[in-house]
Formats: sequence, structure tokens, C-alpha cells
Amino acid sequence: MEQVIINGIYSGMQYALIALGLTLIFALMGVLNFAHGQMYVLGGFVTYYVYGVMGLPFVVGLAATAATLALVGVFFEFVIFRRVLKLSVREESTMLVAAGGALFLESLVLIIFGEKHRGVPSVISGVWKVGDAYMPYGRLLVVAMSALLIGGFILFMQYTRQGRALRALAQDREAAQIQGVNVDNYSMLGFAIGATLAGLAGGLLVSISGVNSGLGTWISIKAFIMVMIGGAGVVPGAIIGGFILGMLESVGYTVLPGGETYLVIFVALIAFLAIRPQGLMGKPWG
Amino acid sequence: MPNQRSLIAVGVALVIYLIVLPALLADKPYFLGVLTTASVLSVIAAGVWLTFFIGRINIGQGAFALVGGYAAAILMTKLGFSFWIAMPLAGLTAALVSIVIGIPILRLRGVYFAMISLSLTETARLSAQSFRSVTEGAKGIVNIPLPGAVEIFGFTLIPDFSTVDKHLAFYFLAAILLIATFAAMYRLVNSRIGWLFKSLQQNEELASSVGVDIARLRVIAYAISSFLGGIGGAFFVAAQQSVYPASFQIQDSIYFMLYTFLGGLGYVFGPIVGTFVLFLSFEFLHGLNEYQPLIYSIIMIALMLWLPNGLLSIRLPGWGLGTKANPERARGA
Amino acid sequence: MLKRKSLMRSAAIAGIALVAGLAVGDGAMAANEKLKIGVLGVMSGPAASWGLVNRYCAEARANMINEAGGFEIGGKKYDIEIVSIDDRNDPKLAVSGAERLVYEDGIRYIIGPNIDTTAAAIVPVIEKGGAMNIPYAFSKDLYSPPRSHSILGMIASYQAGPVIYKYLQEKEGVKSVAFVARNESDSLNQREEGVAAAEALGLDVLASKDTYEAGTTDFFPVMSRLVGLKPDLIVLSGVAPSDAPLMLKTARELGFQGLMSTETAQDAKILSEVAGDAANGFISVGGASTPEIRSEFMETFSKRYEEVAGEWNDEAGTKVYALEILLNTIKTAGPEAIEDVSKFKAQMDAFKMTNPFLKDGRDLHFVGAGFFDQKRQISVPMVVNVFKDGEFETLFVGSVD
Repeated sequence: MEQVIINGIYSGMQYALIALGLTLIFALMGVLNFAHGQMYVLGGFVTYYVYGVMGLPFVVGLAATAATLALVGVFFEFVIFRRVLKLSVREESTMLVAAGGALFLESLVLIIFGEKHRGVPSVISGVWKVGDAYMPYGRLLVVAMSALLIGGFILFMQYTRQGRALRALAQDREAAQIQGVNVDNYSMLGFAIGATLAGLAGGLLVSISGVNSGLGTWISIKAFIMVMIGGAGVVPGAIIGGFILGMLESVGYTVLPGGETYLVIFVALIAFLAIRPQGLMGKPWG
Repeated sequence: MPNQRSLIAVGVALVIYLIVLPALLADKPYFLGVLTTASVLSVIAAGVWLTFFIGRINIGQGAFALVGGYAAAILMTKLGFSFWIAMPLAGLTAALVSIVIGIPILRLRGVYFAMISLSLTETARLSAQSFRSVTEGAKGIVNIPLPGAVEIFGFTLIPDFSTVDKHLAFYFLAAILLIATFAAMYRLVNSRIGWLFKSLQQNEELASSVGVDIARLRVIAYAISSFLGGIGGAFFVAAQQSVYPASFQIQDSIYFMLYTFLGGLGYVFGPIVGTFVLFLSFEFLHGLNEYQPLIYSIIMIALMLWLPNGLLSIRLPGWGLGTKANPERARGA
Repeated sequence: MLKRKSLMRSAAIAGIALVAGLAVGDGAMAANEKLKIGVLGVMSGPAASWGLVNRYCAEARANMINEAGGFEIGGKKYDIEIVSIDDRNDPKLAVSGAERLVYEDGIRYIIGPNIDTTAAAIVPVIEKGGAMNIPYAFSKDLYSPPRSHSILGMIASYQAGPVIYKYLQEKEGVKSVAFVARNESDSLNQREEGVAAAEALGLDVLASKDTYEAGTTDFFPVMSRLVGLKPDLIVLSGVAPSDAPLMLKTARELGFQGLMSTETAQDAKILSEVAGDAANGFISVGGASTPEIRSEFMETFSKRYEEVAGEWNDEAGTKVYALEILLNTIKTAGPEAIEDVSKFKAQMDAFKMTNPFLKDGRDLHFVGAGFFDQKRQISVPMVVNVFKDGEFETLFVGSVD
């Protein structure tokens, strides 16, 4: 029983980290970033190369991942989204161009990194056993680093000038512009941070679950579920959504091993959204 | 009223589609097959287009294609129905399921509807796997017979597909489905109910305030959309003579949305153009091997960058082919 | 402004046309006549490695043959050309891909596809088009009468499972077993067959329903339940090479002491990278690549494979046989079999060649009559491997019959 709860917390922490970047980009730009999962995968591969293949320290791997993904984020915003947002009649366009971007990143990753699953050795090995529960140190480290990253991100958004500007942008684009926020630059920054968060999630988790080029779609779908539970565009919502999904999985696989877990999760989600369309913490109609 | 030139254009297109292409490609089953597939994919995408038309981003059409496919397969193999009855019933089954699901989820808008619709395809796949007594679960339903003959008073209306060139037979079936679907869509969009649908896309509150029953309208539109998905699913199941839980996947749902979108959401015939251009270009890029999806995605992104309002937004002066159904800038309410 | 836009549009259209033109154009002509063989399978997305390994194997072997001057059939040399198509595990694309291979490229012999869904979907195309294919899917319907155009390319789980369980029951004293499968058709079917085999051997099946979803990255919830049942053996049914190491590592981290096995082929590099020591003792079905059994020819082949794919993959050890047996059966059946698969089929019962990939010089022929009522399976040797410190060691080599 302890193990079930601990599993839920493990998964929840990982999921919260995965959902964070997605919800940030949505809050800032109103873009549902379909390429989120592919960015996660790319992040995982960069960390794999720097840490696993080149043998540099794990932290260097994460830094390289952050830098790469920030660039990818800037590229996506500057080359693709900015233009589509301005020209398109319908706002859905951004979502579709993101779906195109997802396919692009996925094929690129497959060509560059190959079809194999990749992984790196645990950063630290060993298992800590408390009562009946097993807690590998490698996982505890990842959980701690995820918590640090999420905490750091919240502090950044709350207390820095850039963070405040980004929040203003998320609340009301026009108003932020009138207040003197350079909307274009901050959109780019927001996109870069969102992509970096996705990549760092991949980089951190590559040490416990590895990565392969086809993982992206599943990561995106899970991130969507969390965002739906917590509410789109709300950072605490994404975190809570992540923990709820982690717990649901953990309990679900224990009591319903026969493959119905996700069926139940989806049906419950539909029922839940019928009662509360904006999720737990979202503003009505995003 | 459509003008004369566009009537001529439609006439020419129909002659090419129904007479010239099949005559040219009669001994080229591959090309015939690709056009057949693209035609039925357009029919399924037309449903997606209709949900876009009422202002909902639908990424769940694969679910209804799967429901339709299974309904047709079960009706044919377990209950001995003819394909010609099973196909419309498959459409109706999908429509019924969509009404049950649609009543709660159509209240959602924007990305919320998009995300929940995205999980429908997985829900359908998991259901197909879980309810084994009806669907055979993971084993799928195989050895489904080809569509049989339809005879009235000894006169063969439709021949048994196993006795004729089945590639041509499926081509014509697909062509008739496409023409019927888009003729109906054209009528629908330009009818009173079409105007009501459009009012939903523009402003649901306003529509509601002038006495439109928006909840019912949305469900009707979604049911029609899913009906088309079910018909398409039944077609593919008959052509492949088998159905599995993975016959329609999330990728399919995403592609239906992309086809619709790239054709142009403002045009009734957008799904045809989008589907044919994208599906054909994917097929013909196959020689690029591992670069195929990469180049394909670049084409897709490039199209969206240069033609963000769809392929049909390239308008040749005077040719009113695409019925422009949404000229205004419609930001979801 | 308007002018510039339309210019850009034309440029984009021209670009697309150029790319499409490049795609259609073919390579240079060679001296020999060409014999085209198709590879149809999933080469992108989550399961990309299944189809890609088929393609790389076929290409590597074709390169070897062509450089040696071609493959002789009826006194004439043919260059082997591999035409590969990615079906993305989508039955619609599998059908159009098969139609393209059969009707446009005039191909009669196709390697693939990779799952039941796509393999079943192309049956009508293969039969009507007069072709043969070698699917890597396990559904018995594909290979049993009235079907006759498909040949199972590998050892099915329902063949390897009983052999492995029996071995572990006798040698390791395994009494209880727990199964876990990916929640997808192919895996679930393999688990069902595995459970039946284990029950037939009198093993105590502790878990026969457990599944996990595709795309799972955290296996703690799934494995916790299984480990808690304390089985002697955990069987990972139809497990993908990407999932296996995670499941092994998780089970060991949860304190599992027993054995683990699978009936599908795995890759040693992936296992050692992701699971490390936790993979030690893991039993899987392998190909011809372990040093104890491989021939010199196999070593040459793996080098050529690396040139094509960039890196060796142990999954390839089970997939080398398809092209080899196709070509040699055609050779025995004579040049008419290139176009007429009924000549090929007529040869299948009697055909026999020496397996060039193994040292022991055993036969390569068609088997499977006991499972499909006709010989519709390649006699891929059932190489049962155990993982130890980064490499596979061969436990024993069995056969299907």
C-alpha cells in the first residue's frame, strides 16, 4: 500500500514536470503545443548524448539540453507561430501548425538518433527500503530535481521582472502591450522557456526511463490529460493535474490490472469535464 | 445560387472523376486504390469539417470511424447482414454513440474540446479491446466477406464485388460516397440549418439569445459528422476485410483534422482538396525512405505558413469553386 | 506585396514538384537484370525499429549479393533491389503500400508487415495480386488454410513460450509465473497463448491479466503489483525492446529476486544502457548473432548491417533469414517463380538449404505444419539467450518442429 502511494508521487512529480511547459505556452500564446512530447524526446536525446555517450557530468547534459531546446523554442516561435498567428483567420491554425511541427521534430529525431531506445545509467544507484516500500536513490534524485525545477520556475514567474511581464502577457495580451511589454520578445521568451521545460523533463527522466524517437505523441497525450484535469493555462493546475494522473495510474494498475485503467480514466475525464468544463483551476473557456 | 462558371467547373470535375480517371487507371490498381482511399478519407474529413463549422476543433474522428468499422464488421459476420445495409447502420451507430458522448462534451469549447476529443480515439481502441464478447478483443474480426450483389426483381443493381474487378468497384463506391456526401454538405451549409450552424461558430451566446436551441444544434452537427466517420470506417473494413482495435488510431484523427484544415476551413470542398493533396503527396514521396515524413512535414508547415487559411484560399478570379462559408474573422467566442 | 506573395507561392509549389520529382527518379542502371523485393513495415513512430530492422537486413544482404556479382537464378544473374515502404502500422497505408509494390513495381515477394492489423489488411491485396509475403505477426489465421500466401518470418511466441517455460521449470525449478503485456492486440494475443502454455505445463499462473499502456515511461505502478505476487518467473509478453529494460530495472529496484523472460527478440545494447546489471539473467529469444553459434558469414553480414544502419541491432539476428530463404527458394523453383508464386509455393514443402548464418550447418527450410496445417513458416532456429554483463549468451538452440 505504501508502495502504491509512493509510486503515485513518483509518477506525479514526473508528470507535473511534463505538463508545466505545455501549460506555460498555452497561457502565453493560446497555442496548444502539439510538439511538446517531441520536444521532451529531443531533450532526452541531447542529455543521452552529452551525459551517456560523451561522458560529461549529468548537470552539463541538462545545461546542453536547456540550451538546445531554448533555441528550438525560439525557432518555433519566430519562424512558425508568429507568422501563423498574424495571418490566420482561425486561431486553431496554431494548433495545426504545431501538429506539423511535431511530425517534423519526430522525423528529424528518428533520422539523427536512430530507431533504438536509449538510456543512461542511473546517476546514483542503490535502493532505500523503508518498511515495505522501495525507493531507488536515482528516482529520489530525479524527484528532488524536478521539485527544484518546478519551484525555481514558480519563483521566476512570481518575483522577476521577466516573470511578471510573462504573467501580464498571459492575463491580457493587449493590456500588456499598452503597459509597455514588448509582446513579440516576451512571446519568444515564453516559448523558449516552455520548450526548455519540456526538454529538461526529457533530460531528467532519461536517467530513469530512457527515451526513443516515437515516445512524443504519448507524452503529449498524457500532458493534455493533466492539463484538462488541472485547467489549461494555469501553472498550479498543471502540477495538480500531474499528481492526480500519477495517483490514478498507480491505484488503477493495482486494482484494475486488466487494461481498463486508461479506459476508466478517459471515461471519468469526460464525466468530470461535463461537470467542470474548465478543469479544477482553469478560467472558464481558457 | 452558384454561378454558371462554377457549375461548369463542377461538371468537368465530375466527368474527370467518374469517367476519365477510372478509364485511364482501369489497369493501374495502385493509383485507383490511392484515389479510392483519398475519396473515402475526404468523406470522413467532411465530418470533421462540419464540427469545425460549428466552432469545435475535432481531433476524435478516428474513434467514430472505428465504431463504424466494428459495427459493420459485427453486423456482417455475426448477424449476417449485407454490406449494403451494414454500412448505413454503421453510420447510424457512430451517430448514436456520438450523441451520447456529444451531449456532455460539446459543452466544452476551444482547446478543451480539442483535447477531450483527442482522447476519444484511445477510448474507442481500449473499448474494442475490452469488450471481447462483442468485438473479439485483441484478435480482431477477420475474413469479412466482400460486399455482395444487390438485385431487384432479378435485375442486378450492384454486382457482387468478388465477381467483378473489385478495385474499380470500390473506386466507384468511394466516388459515389464522396459525391453524395459533398452534395449533401453543400445543401446543408446553404440551408437554414446551415446558417444556424454558422451562427454557433460566430457567437453561441448571441445565437442562444435569439432563441436558437444551441445544445440541440451542436449535437445534430456532431451526429452528422460522426455518421460520416462511421460510413468511412465501414468502407475501409469492407475493403481490408478485417478490423482490429488499431485499425483507426490517434494519428488518423490528427490527420483528418489536418486534411480538413489544410483544404481551408472556410470552404465546403476544403476537405476534398486537403485530403487529396496531403494523402497523394505522402504516397508519392515514398521513394525518399526515411526522409519521407520529414519532407512531408515540411510541406505541411510550408503550406500553413504561406496559406494559413487553406489551399482553397488561392482563388482564381471568377472561379467560385469553393463556397466560402466563413469569410469573417472568427475568434472562438 | 501581393506580387511577392504569389512569387513565394510559386516557389513553394516548384519546390514541392522538385522534391516529388526526385522521389520518383531512380538510381543508375546496373549491368544485371534487377530482381525487386519489397519491404513493407512500420519505419517511423513508436514501433519504427521493427520495420527498419527488416529493411536494414534486406538492404545489407542485397548489397553483399550485388557486390559479389548478383544472385544466380536459372543460369542468369540478378541484382537484388530492395524497395521499402513505411506503413506507419496503419492498415490503410499498408494496403496502398502493398498495392504499390505489387502493381506498380511488379514485385511478387514482400518482407513484412509487422503487426496483425496491417498483415491482415493486406491479405486481399497479396492474394489477388499473386504475391507472397513474410509477415512478422503471429495471428494463426494469416498462415492457415484457406490462406496460403503468407509465411511467418520468425518464431512465434506460442512456439518459444512453452520451450522456455519447460526449460526453466526443469532447470531452475520454476513453479509459479506472472504475465504482463502491452495493452495492444499483438501483445495481448501473445500473452493469452503464453498463459495457455504455462497452464498446460502445470505452472501456477499468478497473474494473467496485467497490462501497461504503450508510451509508459514509469513502470513502478505496473511492476509493483506483479512483484508483490512473488512469482518465480515474470514473463514480459510481446514486449517491445524499448520497454523490456525499464521493466527489468523496475522489478529489481522493487526487490524482485526471481527470473524474467520474454519470447521476442531484444537488443543487448539497449538492455545494458537502460537496465545495466538489472538485466542480468534475462531470458529472451535471439537470432544468429551470439558468438557461440554464429558463422563467419554471419559476422560479415553484421558488418554490412552496421554500414547500412549505423549500428548493430540484435533484433536483426532473427530477421536475416527472410531474404535468404526467399531468393534460394526462387532459385530452386526456377526462373518462372520470379513472376509466378505458385511455382514458389509448390517448392515450399521440399525446399532445403544449409543455414549460412550458423556454424552448426543446420537446415533452413519451411516448417509450421503443426501450427498452421501447412508449411508456412521459416525454420528460424529458436535461439534462447540469457543476458549477462552487456551481452547475450546462448542457453540452447531449439527448433519449431
